[in-house]
Amino acid sequence: MELRKTVNIAMFLALAVVLNIVESLVPIFISFVPGIKLGLTNIIILLVLYFYTFKDALLVSILRVFVVGILVTGLFSISFFLSLSGAIFSIIMMFIVKKMTKLSIIGVSVVGSIFHSIGQIIMASLILKNINIYNYLPVILLFSIPAGIVIGIICKSLFKSLSKILN
Amino acid sequence: MNKSDIKLIVSSLLIILIILGIRFIFRNKNNKVAIVYYENKIVSKIDLSINNEYTVDGYNGKVYMEVKDNKIRVKEEVSPKHICSYQGFISETYETIVCLPNKIIIKIEANEELDTVVR
Repeated sequence: MELRKTVNIAMFLALAVVLNIVESLVPIFISFVPGIKLGLTNIIILLVLYFYTFKDALLVSILRVFVVGILVTGLFSISFFLSLSGAIFSIIMMFIVKKMTKLSIIGVSVVGSIFHSIGQIIMASLILKNINIYNYLPVILLFSIPAGIVIGIICKSLFKSLSKILN
Repeated sequence: MNKSDIKLIVSSLLIILIILGIRFIFRNKNNKVAIVYYENKIVSKIDLSINNEYTVDGYNGKVYMEVKDNKIRVKEEVSPKHICSYQGFISETYETIVCLPNKIIIKIEANEELDTVVR
């Protein structure tokens, strides 16, 4: 059973890395908000959080950032730190919300998406030493809520079909 | 999707829209500055939100500039062809007035604006 779990988590990690890379190859162009994306990786993080424990989800989330950092952006580059801070913020908030409130998987996904953006903006302002970047936050949040809803709906249907296999 | 999900989504959207609305109402419409260079040194910064006339010393004599409705132009100057005064008003950050005989360059810059975007 323990081995099965390890293998499953490793597969989830691989999926998260691939989704992250694929997503970065498909830019979404909206003229006044550069840099928005759907956050497909969050599907995997949410599934791990729901199927296994918070610790596993945190592990997958951080390892995903490191692997993508090594493969694509470069370790300890600016986008690595942005990604890391967003991932940690979002996984911690998703865990708290899942524990404390009655939100379904869609609501948890929306919270994760919102706090991913907030974590990234905080890290960006620390790196660039520029307060003005917070002006960008409401605009990007406006787009992260629909993205969170979409991801949540995907997760809901995946959760149903995967729970037959995994449990 | 249950009731608390909808509550969360609607309330967070409302908060964001209120913040955006407040920012839209209190936005700084004209925070552009014209920067005047003489021999590549900044001699004056002109706020484009105030309609007024300004003078700087050029190489051939005084250069008179006029600011009107967030735009700036060179009104009068001493030069053989008067190219910079014929150019008329400029208002955008990518526009520049160059007055070579007077060694004057006028550039427009945004006062405070995001200039870095990181993915």
